[in-house]
Amino acid sequence: MKLSVLLFLLLSFNVSAIATDKESAKLWLERLSQSLRQLNFTTSFVVVKNNQAEPYHWLHGIGENDQELEIFTRLNGPRRDVLRQGEIVSYIEPEQDAYSLISPDARGPIPTIFRDDISRLEESYRFISVGRSRVLGRVAQLVRIVAKDKYRFSYWLWLDQNTGLLLKMAILTRQGKLLEQIQFTHIEVSDQLSENLVELQLTKLPDAMQLNQTLNKDLSWQVDWLPQGFSILKSNQHNLYSHNRSDNKAVDFMLFSDGLTEVSVYVNPSNENFRAPEYASDGATMVFNHILQGVEVGVVGDIPLATAKKIAESIIPVSVINIKDDSQSSVRAK
Amino acid sequence: MSEIKSESVSSLVDNYSPSTDDSVSTHLVDNMLKDEHLSSTWQNYHLIGDVLRDEVPQSLQLDLSKTISAAIAQEATILSPNSSTQAFSKILAESTASSLDESNTGQKVTQTRNTNRVINAANRFKSKISTLVKPMGQVAIAASAAALMIVGVQQNVTDNDLVTPSQVVQTMPLTGYANPVSFNVQSAEPRYSSQSKQKPQQATNEQNAAQRVVQQRRLQALLSDHNKQVKLGSNIQ
Repeated sequence: MKLSVLLFLLLSFNVSAIATDKESAKLWLERLSQSLRQLNFTTSFVVVKNNQAEPYHWLHGIGENDQELEIFTRLNGPRRDVLRQGEIVSYIEPEQDAYSLISPDARGPIPTIFRDDISRLEESYRFISVGRSRVLGRVAQLVRIVAKDKYRFSYWLWLDQNTGLLLKMAILTRQGKLLEQIQFTHIEVSDQLSENLVELQLTKLPDAMQLNQTLNKDLSWQVDWLPQGFSILKSNQHNLYSHNRSDNKAVDFMLFSDGLTEVSVYVNPSNENFRAPEYASDGATMVFNHILQGVEVGVVGDIPLATAKKIAESIIPVSVINIKDDSQSSVRAK
Repeated sequence: MSEIKSESVSSLVDNYSPSTDDSVSTHLVDNMLKDEHLSSTWQNYHLIGDVLRDEVPQSLQLDLSKTISAAIAQEATILSPNSSTQAFSKILAESTASSLDESNTGQKVTQTRNTNRVINAANRFKSKISTLVKPMGQVAIAASAAALMIVGVQQNVTDNDLVTPSQVVQTMPLTGYANPVSFNVQSAEPRYSSQSKQKPQQATNEQNAAQRVVQQRRLQALLSDHNKQVKLGSNIQ
Protein backbone atom coordinates (compact mmCIF):
# COMPACT_ATOMS: atom_id res chain seq x y z
CA MET A 1 0.00 0.00 0.00
CA LYS A 2 2.67 2.41 1.05
CA LEU A 3 4.77 1.34 -1.87
CA SER A 4 2.00 1.93 -4.36
CA VAL A 5 1.45 5.39 -2.92
CA LEU A 6 5.16 5.99 -3.21
CA LEU A 7 5.22 4.82 -6.81
CA PHE A 8 2.23 6.98 -7.64
CA LEU A 9 3.93 9.97 -6.10
CA LEU A 10 7.09 9.20 -8.04
CA LEU A 11 5.19 8.94 -11.32
CA SER A 12 3.18 12.09 -10.78
CA PHE A 13 6.36 13.92 -9.91
CA ASN A 14 7.95 12.74 -13.15
CA VAL A 15 4.97 13.87 -15.23
CA SER A 16 4.94 17.27 -13.62
CA ALA A 17 8.70 17.47 -14.07
CA ILE A 18 8.30 16.92 -17.82
CA ALA A 19 5.66 19.61 -18.01
CA THR A 20 7.81 22.09 -16.14
CA ASP A 21 10.77 21.09 -18.34
CA LYS A 22 8.91 22.36 -21.39
CA GLU A 23 7.95 25.56 -19.64
CA SER A 24 11.42 26.18 -18.27
CA ALA A 25 12.98 25.54 -21.71
CA LYS A 26 10.82 28.28 -23.18
CA LEU A 27 11.66 30.59 -20.29
CA TRP A 28 15.34 29.95 -20.92
CA LEU A 29 14.98 30.81 -24.60
CA GLU A 30 13.02 33.96 -23.76
CA ARG A 31 15.77 34.94 -21.38
CA LEU A 32 18.35 34.34 -24.13
CA SER A 33 16.40 36.60 -26.48
CA GLN A 34 16.20 39.31 -23.85
CA SER A 35 19.91 39.05 -23.01
CA LEU A 36 20.92 39.22 -26.68
CA ARG A 37 18.92 42.43 -27.09
CA GLN A 38 19.71 44.22 -23.84
CA LEU A 39 23.17 43.30 -22.55
CA ASN A 40 26.53 44.82 -23.34
CA PHE A 41 28.69 41.86 -24.16
CA THR A 42 32.02 41.11 -25.79
CA THR A 43 32.42 37.53 -26.95
CA SER A 44 34.59 35.30 -29.07
CA PHE A 45 33.42 32.09 -30.62
CA VAL A 46 34.51 29.44 -33.05
CA VAL A 47 32.33 27.92 -35.74
CA VAL A 48 33.33 24.32 -36.29
CA LYS A 49 32.23 22.72 -39.55
CA ASN A 50 33.80 20.71 -42.39
CA ASN A 51 36.73 19.89 -40.09
CA GLN A 52 37.60 23.56 -39.93
CA ALA A 53 37.32 26.18 -37.26
CA GLU A 54 36.42 29.78 -38.01
CA PRO A 55 36.99 32.20 -35.16
CA TYR A 56 34.77 35.26 -34.72
CA HIS A 57 34.40 38.26 -32.46
CA TRP A 58 30.88 39.28 -31.56
CA LEU A 59 30.18 42.48 -29.71
CA HIS A 60 26.86 43.94 -28.74
CA GLY A 61 25.83 46.93 -26.71
CA ILE A 62 23.27 49.62 -26.12
CA GLY A 63 24.52 53.04 -27.20
CA GLU A 64 23.00 56.51 -27.00
CA ASN A 65 19.23 56.81 -27.47
CA ASP A 66 18.93 53.09 -26.76
CA GLN A 67 20.46 52.36 -30.15
CA GLU A 68 21.65 48.81 -30.50
CA LEU A 69 25.22 48.41 -31.68
CA GLU A 70 26.56 45.11 -32.92
CA ILE A 71 29.71 43.81 -34.59
CA PHE A 72 30.43 40.41 -36.08
CA THR A 73 34.01 39.98 -37.28
CA ARG A 74 35.58 36.94 -38.84
CA LEU A 75 39.13 36.80 -37.62
CA ASN A 76 40.78 34.47 -40.14
CA GLY A 77 41.20 35.08 -43.85
CA PRO A 78 39.76 38.01 -45.77
CA ARG A 79 37.77 40.49 -43.70
CA ARG A 80 34.12 39.70 -43.39
CA ASP A 81 32.40 42.05 -40.99
CA VAL A 82 28.84 42.86 -40.10
CA LEU A 83 28.26 46.20 -38.40
CA ARG A 84 24.96 47.37 -37.05
CA GLN A 85 23.75 50.71 -35.78
CA GLY A 86 20.11 50.30 -34.84
CA GLU A 87 18.28 49.65 -38.11
CA ILE A 88 21.27 50.08 -40.40
CA VAL A 89 23.27 46.94 -41.05
CA SER A 90 26.49 47.12 -43.06
CA TYR A 91 28.23 44.15 -44.60
CA ILE A 92 31.92 44.33 -45.40
CA GLU A 93 32.87 41.44 -47.67
CA PRO A 94 35.82 40.61 -49.87
CA GLU A 95 33.68 39.96 -52.97
CA GLN A 96 32.16 43.43 -53.23
CA ASP A 97 32.14 46.95 -51.86
CA ALA A 98 30.69 47.55 -48.44
CA TYR A 99 26.94 48.01 -48.50
CA SER A 100 24.21 48.78 -45.99
CA LEU A 101 20.68 47.56 -45.58
CA ILE A 102 17.75 48.60 -43.46
CA SER A 103 17.22 45.51 -41.35
CA PRO A 104 16.41 44.64 -37.77
CA ASP A 105 19.03 41.86 -37.65
CA ALA A 106 22.71 41.53 -38.30
CA ARG A 107 23.17 38.22 -40.10
CA GLY A 108 26.06 36.42 -38.47
CA PRO A 109 26.55 32.74 -37.76
CA ILE A 110 24.03 32.91 -34.88
CA PRO A 111 20.41 32.43 -36.01
CA THR A 112 18.63 35.77 -35.66
CA ILE A 113 15.45 34.19 -34.32
CA PHE A 114 17.19 33.76 -30.96
CA ARG A 115 16.87 37.49 -30.40
CA ASP A 116 13.29 37.62 -31.67
CA ASP A 117 10.01 36.10 -30.58
CA ILE A 118 10.96 32.50 -29.93
CA SER A 119 7.35 31.30 -29.83
CA ARG A 120 7.36 31.52 -33.65
CA LEU A 121 9.27 28.25 -33.61
CA GLU A 122 6.69 26.31 -31.65
CA GLU A 123 4.87 25.20 -34.79
CA SER A 124 7.80 23.15 -36.06
CA TYR A 125 10.00 22.59 -33.02
CA ARG A 126 9.71 21.43 -29.44
CA PHE A 127 11.71 23.03 -26.64
CA ILE A 128 13.19 20.67 -24.07
CA SER A 129 15.23 21.64 -21.08
CA VAL A 130 17.65 18.78 -20.51
CA GLY A 131 20.10 19.42 -17.72
CA ARG A 132 23.16 21.23 -16.61
CA SER A 133 26.76 20.87 -17.60
CA ARG A 134 29.94 22.90 -17.55
CA VAL A 135 30.72 24.96 -20.63
CA LEU A 136 33.34 27.70 -20.85
CA GLY A 137 34.01 27.27 -17.14
CA ARG A 138 30.45 28.24 -16.34
CA VAL A 139 27.30 26.44 -15.28
CA ALA A 140 25.32 25.95 -18.45
CA GLN A 141 21.72 24.93 -19.01
CA LEU A 142 21.22 22.68 -22.04
CA VAL A 143 18.07 23.48 -24.01
CA ARG A 144 17.21 21.46 -27.07
CA ILE A 145 15.16 22.81 -29.96
CA VAL A 146 13.99 19.53 -31.42
CA ALA A 147 12.39 19.27 -34.86
CA LYS A 148 8.88 17.84 -34.74
CA ASP A 149 9.32 16.07 -38.08
CA LYS A 150 12.17 14.47 -40.00
CA TYR A 151 12.46 17.30 -42.51
CA ARG A 152 14.76 19.57 -40.51
CA PHE A 153 17.61 19.59 -38.03
CA SER A 154 17.63 20.01 -34.28
CA TYR A 155 19.51 22.68 -32.38
CA TRP A 156 21.09 22.27 -28.97
CA LEU A 157 21.87 25.40 -27.00
CA TRP A 158 23.97 25.70 -23.88
CA LEU A 159 22.95 28.85 -22.02
CA ASP A 160 24.82 30.61 -19.26
CA GLN A 161 23.03 30.29 -15.96
CA ASN A 162 24.07 33.78 -14.83
CA THR A 163 23.50 35.91 -17.92
CA GLY A 164 21.31 33.71 -20.12
CA LEU A 165 23.76 34.19 -23.00
CA LEU A 166 24.70 31.49 -25.47
CA LEU A 167 27.80 29.47 -24.56
CA LYS A 168 27.62 26.74 -27.17
CA MET A 169 25.37 25.66 -29.99
CA ALA A 170 25.18 22.46 -31.98
CA ILE A 171 23.19 21.51 -35.06
CA LEU A 172 22.36 17.83 -35.25
CA THR A 173 20.49 15.48 -37.51
CA ARG A 174 17.55 13.52 -36.24
CA GLN A 175 19.90 10.55 -35.79
CA GLY A 176 22.10 12.62 -33.52
CA LYS A 177 24.94 13.22 -35.98
CA LEU A 178 26.73 16.46 -35.27
CA LEU A 179 26.87 18.74 -38.33
CA GLU A 180 28.04 22.08 -37.08
CA GLN A 181 28.78 23.66 -33.79
CA ILE A 182 29.56 27.02 -32.35
CA GLN A 183 31.71 27.09 -29.25
CA PHE A 184 32.18 30.32 -27.37
CA THR A 185 35.69 30.82 -26.09
CA HIS A 186 35.25 34.08 -24.22
CA ILE A 187 32.31 35.98 -22.77
CA GLU A 188 32.39 39.26 -20.97
CA VAL A 189 29.33 41.17 -19.85
CA SER A 190 29.82 44.76 -18.76
CA ASP A 191 27.81 47.86 -17.87
CA GLN A 192 29.92 50.05 -20.15
CA LEU A 193 30.11 49.98 -23.93
CA SER A 194 33.30 48.38 -25.13
CA GLU A 195 35.81 50.56 -27.01
CA ASN A 196 35.05 49.02 -30.38
CA LEU A 197 31.36 49.77 -30.01
CA VAL A 198 32.05 53.37 -28.92
CA GLU A 199 34.09 53.67 -32.10
CA LEU A 200 31.31 52.12 -34.16
CA GLN A 201 28.88 54.60 -32.68
CA LEU A 202 30.93 57.48 -34.09
CA THR A 203 31.44 55.86 -37.49
CA LYS A 204 29.28 56.80 -40.45
CA LEU A 205 28.08 53.63 -42.12
CA PRO A 206 27.46 53.55 -45.89
CA ASP A 207 23.99 54.70 -46.90
CA ALA A 208 21.41 51.97 -47.05
CA MET A 209 21.09 50.86 -50.64
CA GLN A 210 17.90 50.75 -52.60
CA LEU A 211 17.20 47.27 -53.80
CA ASN A 212 16.61 47.21 -57.51
CA GLN A 213 15.44 43.64 -57.70
CA THR A 214 11.91 43.15 -58.91
CA LEU A 215 9.92 42.02 -55.94
CA ASN A 216 7.39 39.24 -55.94
CA LYS A 217 7.21 39.17 -59.69
CA ASP A 218 5.04 36.49 -61.18
CA LEU A 219 7.11 33.39 -61.50
CA SER A 220 6.65 30.59 -63.95
CA TRP A 221 7.52 27.89 -61.42
CA GLN A 222 6.10 26.91 -58.12
CA VAL A 223 7.03 24.66 -55.21
CA ASP A 224 4.32 22.11 -54.63
CA TRP A 225 5.67 20.63 -51.40
CA LEU A 226 7.35 22.13 -48.36
CA PRO A 227 7.75 20.84 -44.83
CA GLN A 228 5.08 22.15 -42.53
CA GLY A 229 5.87 25.48 -40.95
CA PHE A 230 7.80 26.92 -43.90
CA SER A 231 6.36 30.09 -45.38
CA ILE A 232 7.57 32.19 -48.27
CA LEU A 233 9.68 35.22 -47.41
CA LYS A 234 10.12 36.50 -50.92
CA SER A 235 10.33 35.53 -54.56
CA ASN A 236 11.96 37.22 -57.52
CA GLN A 237 13.90 36.76 -60.70
CA HIS A 238 17.55 37.63 -60.64
CA ASN A 239 20.83 36.71 -62.24
CA LEU A 240 22.80 33.95 -60.63
CA TYR A 241 26.43 35.01 -60.86
CA SER A 242 28.82 32.18 -61.35
CA HIS A 243 32.57 32.04 -61.54
CA ASN A 244 32.47 32.34 -65.30
CA ARG A 245 30.72 35.53 -66.41
CA SER A 246 29.38 33.90 -69.53
CA ASP A 247 27.61 31.30 -67.40
CA ASN A 248 25.43 33.86 -65.65
CA LYS A 249 21.83 32.93 -65.92
CA ALA A 250 18.48 34.28 -64.87
CA VAL A 251 16.71 32.20 -62.28
CA ASP A 252 13.34 32.14 -60.60
CA PHE A 253 14.11 32.50 -56.95
CA MET A 254 12.05 31.75 -53.85
CA LEU A 255 13.10 32.09 -50.22
CA PHE A 256 11.27 30.16 -47.52
CA SER A 257 11.70 30.14 -43.77
CA ASP A 258 10.38 28.22 -40.80
CA GLY A 259 11.67 30.87 -38.41
CA LEU A 260 14.93 29.15 -37.59
CA THR A 261 16.30 28.30 -41.01
CA GLU A 262 15.95 29.62 -44.56
CA VAL A 263 15.65 27.59 -47.73
CA SER A 264 16.37 29.04 -51.16
CA VAL A 265 14.93 27.48 -54.30
CA TYR A 266 16.32 28.32 -57.75
CA VAL A 267 14.59 27.24 -60.94
CA ASN A 268 15.64 27.80 -64.53
CA PRO A 269 15.16 25.99 -67.85
CA SER A 270 18.28 24.19 -69.04
CA ASN A 271 19.75 23.06 -72.35
CA GLU A 272 20.38 19.62 -70.93
CA ASN A 273 17.45 17.36 -70.43
CA PHE A 274 18.77 15.43 -67.47
CA ARG A 275 21.56 15.67 -64.94
CA ALA A 276 21.85 13.39 -61.97
CA PRO A 277 21.34 14.97 -58.55
CA GLU A 278 24.49 16.47 -57.10
CA TYR A 279 24.87 17.91 -53.67
CA ALA A 280 27.38 19.34 -51.26
CA SER A 281 27.17 20.10 -47.59
CA ASP A 282 28.75 23.08 -45.91
CA GLY A 283 28.35 22.23 -42.25
CA ALA A 284 24.61 22.00 -41.81
CA THR A 285 23.90 23.80 -45.10
CA MET A 286 22.87 21.51 -47.92
CA VAL A 287 23.34 22.56 -51.55
CA PHE A 288 21.37 20.42 -53.96
CA ASN A 289 21.13 20.65 -57.71
CA HIS A 290 19.61 18.55 -60.47
CA ILE A 291 18.09 18.78 -63.93
CA LEU A 292 14.88 16.95 -64.49
CA GLN A 293 13.00 17.12 -67.80
CA GLY A 294 14.95 20.17 -68.94
CA VAL A 295 14.41 22.12 -65.73
CA GLU A 296 17.34 22.88 -63.49
CA VAL A 297 16.47 23.16 -59.81
CA GLY A 298 18.77 24.23 -56.99
CA VAL A 299 17.85 24.01 -53.32
CA VAL A 300 20.02 25.52 -50.57
CA GLY A 301 19.40 25.60 -46.85
CA ASP A 302 20.03 24.05 -43.46
CA ILE A 303 17.92 21.00 -44.19
CA PRO A 304 18.55 17.27 -44.66
CA LEU A 305 19.31 16.00 -48.15
CA ALA A 306 16.00 14.13 -48.34
CA THR A 307 14.08 17.35 -47.70
CA ALA A 308 16.05 19.24 -50.35
CA LYS A 309 15.46 16.45 -52.84
CA LYS A 310 11.76 16.32 -52.10
CA ILE A 311 11.42 20.09 -52.52
CA ALA A 312 13.37 19.98 -55.79
CA GLU A 313 11.19 17.20 -57.14
CA SER A 314 8.02 19.05 -56.28
CA ILE A 315 8.73 21.92 -58.67
CA ILE A 316 5.91 22.38 -61.17
CA PRO A 317 5.04 25.08 -63.67
CA VAL A 318 2.55 27.63 -62.38
CA SER A 319 0.41 27.19 -65.48
CA VAL A 320 -0.16 23.52 -64.66
CA ILE A 321 -1.69 24.46 -61.36
CA ASN A 322 -3.89 27.01 -63.06
CA ILE A 323 -5.22 24.42 -65.43
CA LYS A 324 -5.43 21.73 -62.81
CA ASP A 325 -7.22 23.68 -60.15
CA ASP A 326 -8.31 27.25 -60.64
CA SER A 327 -9.61 27.83 -57.15
CA GLN A 328 -6.41 26.57 -55.60
CA SER A 329 -4.25 28.98 -57.55
CA SER A 330 -6.44 31.87 -56.55
CA VAL A 331 -5.96 30.85 -52.94
CA ARG A 332 -2.22 30.67 -53.49
CA ALA A 333 -2.21 34.08 -55.13
CA LYS A 334 -3.52 35.55 -51.93
CA MET B 1 42.69 -30.12 35.76
CA SER B 2 42.18 -26.65 34.34
CA GLU B 3 45.91 -25.99 34.43
CA ILE B 4 46.57 -29.07 32.40
CA LYS B 5 43.90 -28.01 30.00
CA SER B 6 45.24 -24.49 29.66
CA GLU B 7 48.68 -25.91 29.13
CA SER B 8 47.42 -28.10 26.35
CA VAL B 9 45.58 -25.11 24.91
CA SER B 10 48.84 -23.20 25.04
CA SER B 11 50.65 -25.91 23.21
CA LEU B 12 47.82 -26.05 20.67
CA VAL B 13 48.24 -22.33 20.09
CA ASP B 14 51.94 -22.94 19.60
CA ASN B 15 51.06 -25.40 16.88
CA TYR B 16 52.01 -28.66 18.45
CA SER B 17 49.97 -31.02 20.58
CA PRO B 18 51.31 -32.20 23.96
CA SER B 19 50.49 -35.81 23.34
CA THR B 20 51.34 -37.79 20.31
CA ASP B 21 47.71 -38.90 20.18
CA ASP B 22 45.70 -36.77 17.81
CA SER B 23 42.42 -37.68 19.45
CA VAL B 24 43.37 -35.68 22.53
CA SER B 25 43.77 -32.54 20.54
CA THR B 26 40.39 -32.99 18.82
CA HIS B 27 38.89 -33.71 22.20
CA LEU B 28 40.46 -30.53 23.46
CA VAL B 29 39.01 -28.48 20.62
CA ASP B 30 35.57 -29.85 21.38
CA ASN B 31 36.01 -28.95 25.02
CA MET B 32 37.19 -25.52 24.12
CA LEU B 33 34.13 -24.83 21.99
CA LYS B 34 31.87 -25.80 24.86
CA ASP B 35 33.78 -24.15 27.70
CA GLU B 36 33.63 -20.39 27.65
CA HIS B 37 36.60 -20.08 29.99
CA LEU B 38 38.75 -22.24 27.79
CA SER B 39 37.85 -20.42 24.62
CA SER B 40 38.67 -17.08 26.23
CA THR B 41 41.98 -18.59 27.30
CA TRP B 42 42.56 -19.63 23.70
CA GLN B 43 41.81 -16.09 22.61
CA ASN B 44 44.11 -14.58 25.24
CA TYR B 45 46.99 -16.91 24.35
CA HIS B 46 46.67 -15.90 20.72
CA LEU B 47 46.70 -12.24 21.73
CA ILE B 48 49.80 -12.78 23.87
CA GLY B 49 51.47 -14.54 20.99
CA ASP B 50 50.55 -11.70 18.64
CA VAL B 51 51.97 -9.11 21.03
CA LEU B 52 55.21 -11.08 21.43
CA ARG B 53 55.56 -11.43 17.69
CA ASP B 54 54.67 -7.75 17.25
CA GLU B 55 51.74 -8.55 15.02
CA VAL B 56 49.16 -6.49 16.85
CA PRO B 57 47.25 -4.05 14.64
CA GLN B 58 47.43 -0.35 15.48
CA SER B 59 43.99 -0.14 16.99
CA LEU B 60 43.20 -3.12 19.10
CA GLN B 61 39.61 -4.24 19.30
CA LEU B 62 39.49 -7.02 21.80
CA ASP B 63 35.87 -7.96 21.77
CA LEU B 64 34.91 -7.61 18.14
CA SER B 65 32.97 -10.85 18.00
CA LYS B 66 31.01 -10.02 21.12
CA THR B 67 30.09 -6.51 19.99
CA ILE B 68 28.95 -7.85 16.65
CA SER B 69 26.83 -10.55 18.16
CA ALA B 70 25.40 -8.02 20.60
CA ALA B 71 24.60 -5.67 17.77
CA ILE B 72 22.90 -8.48 15.88
CA ALA B 73 20.86 -9.34 18.94
CA GLN B 74 19.77 -5.76 19.39
CA GLU B 75 19.01 -5.21 15.75
CA ALA B 76 15.29 -4.75 15.18
CA THR B 77 14.02 -7.31 12.71
CA ILE B 78 12.27 -5.55 9.87
CA LEU B 79 9.49 -7.06 7.80
CA SER B 80 9.59 -10.15 10.00
CA PRO B 81 6.16 -11.54 10.83
CA ASN B 82 7.36 -13.30 13.96
CA SER B 83 7.76 -10.34 16.27
CA SER B 84 4.32 -8.87 15.61
CA THR B 85 2.54 -12.20 15.67
CA GLN B 86 4.34 -13.21 18.81
CA ALA B 87 3.03 -10.10 20.49
CA PHE B 88 -0.37 -10.88 19.05
CA SER B 89 -0.28 -14.42 20.42
CA LYS B 90 0.78 -13.12 23.82
CA ILE B 91 -2.19 -10.79 23.89
CA LEU B 92 -4.46 -13.63 22.86
CA ALA B 93 -2.97 -15.88 25.49
CA GLU B 94 -3.52 -13.26 28.14
CA SER B 95 -7.09 -12.69 27.09
CA THR B 96 -7.81 -16.40 27.18
CA ALA B 97 -6.04 -16.62 30.52
CA SER B 98 -8.18 -13.87 32.00
CA SER B 99 -11.39 -15.39 30.64
CA LEU B 100 -10.49 -18.76 32.12
CA ASP B 101 -9.30 -17.31 35.38
CA GLU B 102 -11.51 -19.58 37.46
CA SER B 103 -10.70 -22.80 35.68
CA ASN B 104 -7.71 -24.89 36.59
CA THR B 105 -4.27 -24.26 35.27
CA GLY B 106 -3.96 -27.49 33.32
CA GLN B 107 -6.87 -26.54 31.09
CA LYS B 108 -5.47 -23.07 30.74
CA VAL B 109 -2.15 -24.31 29.52
CA THR B 110 -3.69 -26.65 26.96
CA GLN B 111 -6.03 -23.92 25.77
CA THR B 112 -3.26 -21.42 25.32
CA ARG B 113 -1.32 -24.05 23.50
CA ASN B 114 -4.28 -24.64 21.23
CA THR B 115 -4.70 -21.00 20.48
CA ASN B 116 -0.99 -20.81 19.95
CA ARG B 117 -1.21 -23.56 17.44
CA VAL B 118 -4.00 -21.77 15.60
CA ILE B 119 -2.04 -18.58 15.66
CA ASN B 120 1.03 -20.45 14.50
CA ALA B 121 -0.93 -21.63 11.50
CA ALA B 122 -2.10 -18.09 10.94
CA ASN B 123 1.49 -17.02 11.37
CA ARG B 124 2.62 -19.34 8.70
CA PHE B 125 -0.02 -18.04 6.33
CA LYS B 126 0.87 -14.46 7.13
CA SER B 127 4.56 -15.11 6.79
CA LYS B 128 3.89 -16.75 3.45
CA ILE B 129 2.05 -13.66 2.29
CA SER B 130 4.73 -11.41 3.64
CA THR B 131 7.47 -13.46 1.99
CA LEU B 132 5.47 -13.12 -1.19
CA VAL B 133 4.86 -9.41 -0.74
CA LYS B 134 8.36 -8.65 0.39
CA PRO B 135 10.11 -9.56 -2.86
CA MET B 136 7.38 -7.73 -4.77
CA GLY B 137 8.07 -4.63 -2.77
CA GLN B 138 11.74 -5.10 -3.36
CA VAL B 139 11.09 -5.52 -7.05
CA ALA B 140 9.07 -2.29 -7.06
CA ILE B 141 11.84 -0.44 -5.31
CA ALA B 142 14.42 -1.96 -7.61
CA ALA B 143 12.30 -1.04 -10.64
CA SER B 144 11.92 2.55 -9.58
CA ALA B 145 15.61 2.74 -8.84
CA ALA B 146 16.34 1.29 -12.25
CA ALA B 147 13.99 3.82 -13.87
CA LEU B 148 15.79 6.64 -12.11
CA MET B 149 19.10 5.19 -13.21
CA ILE B 150 17.94 4.98 -16.81
CA VAL B 151 16.84 8.61 -16.69
CA GLY B 152 20.19 9.53 -15.23
CA VAL B 153 22.13 7.46 -17.69
CA GLN B 154 20.20 8.92 -20.61
CA GLN B 155 21.11 12.39 -19.46
CA ASN B 156 24.69 11.41 -18.98
CA VAL B 157 24.90 9.74 -22.36
CA THR B 158 23.45 12.73 -24.17
CA ASP B 159 25.82 15.00 -22.34
CA ASN B 160 28.79 12.85 -23.23
CA ASP B 161 27.70 12.78 -26.84
CA LEU B 162 28.36 16.42 -27.23
CA VAL B 163 31.17 16.70 -24.79
CA THR B 164 33.40 14.49 -26.88
CA PRO B 165 33.04 16.38 -30.15
CA SER B 166 33.67 19.61 -28.31
CA GLN B 167 37.19 18.39 -27.76
CA VAL B 168 37.67 18.89 -31.46
CA VAL B 169 37.35 22.57 -30.72
CA GLN B 170 40.13 22.44 -28.23
CA THR B 171 42.60 20.40 -30.24
CA MET B 172 41.81 22.02 -33.58
CA PRO B 173 44.45 24.58 -34.54
CA LEU B 174 42.70 27.81 -35.41
CA THR B 175 44.60 28.25 -38.63
CA GLY B 176 42.14 27.31 -41.33
CA TYR B 177 39.38 29.50 -42.62
CA ALA B 178 36.58 28.51 -44.90
CA ASN B 179 37.75 28.71 -48.46
CA PRO B 180 35.03 29.60 -50.91
CA VAL B 181 35.31 26.13 -52.39
CA SER B 182 36.12 24.23 -49.25
CA PHE B 183 33.23 21.84 -49.01
CA ASN B 184 33.15 18.34 -50.33
CA VAL B 185 31.13 17.74 -53.41
CA GLN B 186 29.49 14.38 -53.76
CA SER B 187 27.69 13.25 -56.83
CA ALA B 188 24.78 10.98 -56.19
CA GLU B 189 25.64 8.87 -59.21
CA PRO B 190 29.03 8.21 -60.74
CA ARG B 191 28.56 9.55 -64.21
CA TYR B 192 30.72 8.68 -67.19
CA SER B 193 31.19 5.25 -65.74
CA SER B 194 30.22 3.55 -68.99
CA GLN B 195 32.38 5.86 -71.09
CA SER B 196 35.40 5.49 -68.89
CA LYS B 197 35.85 1.93 -69.97
CA GLN B 198 36.37 2.93 -73.58
CA LYS B 199 38.52 6.02 -73.03
CA PRO B 200 42.09 6.08 -71.77
CA GLN B 201 42.29 6.37 -68.02
CA GLN B 202 44.07 9.72 -67.98
CA ALA B 203 41.59 11.41 -70.23
CA THR B 204 38.68 10.34 -68.08
CA ASN B 205 40.50 11.49 -64.99
CA GLU B 206 41.04 14.91 -66.48
CA GLN B 207 37.49 15.04 -67.64
CA ASN B 208 36.27 13.99 -64.21
CA ALA B 209 38.39 16.66 -62.59
CA ALA B 210 37.12 19.31 -64.97
CA GLN B 211 33.61 18.07 -64.45
CA ARG B 212 34.10 18.29 -60.71
CA VAL B 213 35.34 21.86 -60.92
CA VAL B 214 32.29 22.86 -62.96
CA GLN B 215 30.05 21.08 -60.52
CA GLN B 216 31.71 22.71 -57.56
CA ARG B 217 31.39 26.16 -59.10
CA ARG B 218 27.75 25.54 -59.81
CA LEU B 219 27.06 24.58 -56.22
CA GLN B 220 29.27 27.36 -54.90
CA ALA B 221 27.30 29.91 -56.92
CA LEU B 222 24.10 28.60 -55.38
CA LEU B 223 25.52 28.71 -51.86
CA SER B 224 26.91 32.21 -52.08
CA ASP B 225 23.71 33.51 -53.65
CA HIS B 226 21.73 31.83 -50.88
CA ASN B 227 23.84 33.55 -48.24
CA LYS B 228 23.40 36.88 -50.00
CA GLN B 229 19.67 36.45 -50.40
CA VAL B 230 19.27 35.52 -46.76
CA LYS B 231 20.93 38.81 -45.82
CA LEU B 232 18.76 40.74 -48.25
CA GLY B 233 15.74 38.73 -47.31
CA SER B 234 15.27 40.46 -44.03
CA ASN B 235 15.01 43.69 -46.00
CA ILE B 236 11.79 42.77 -47.69
CA GLN B 237 9.76 41.55 -44.78
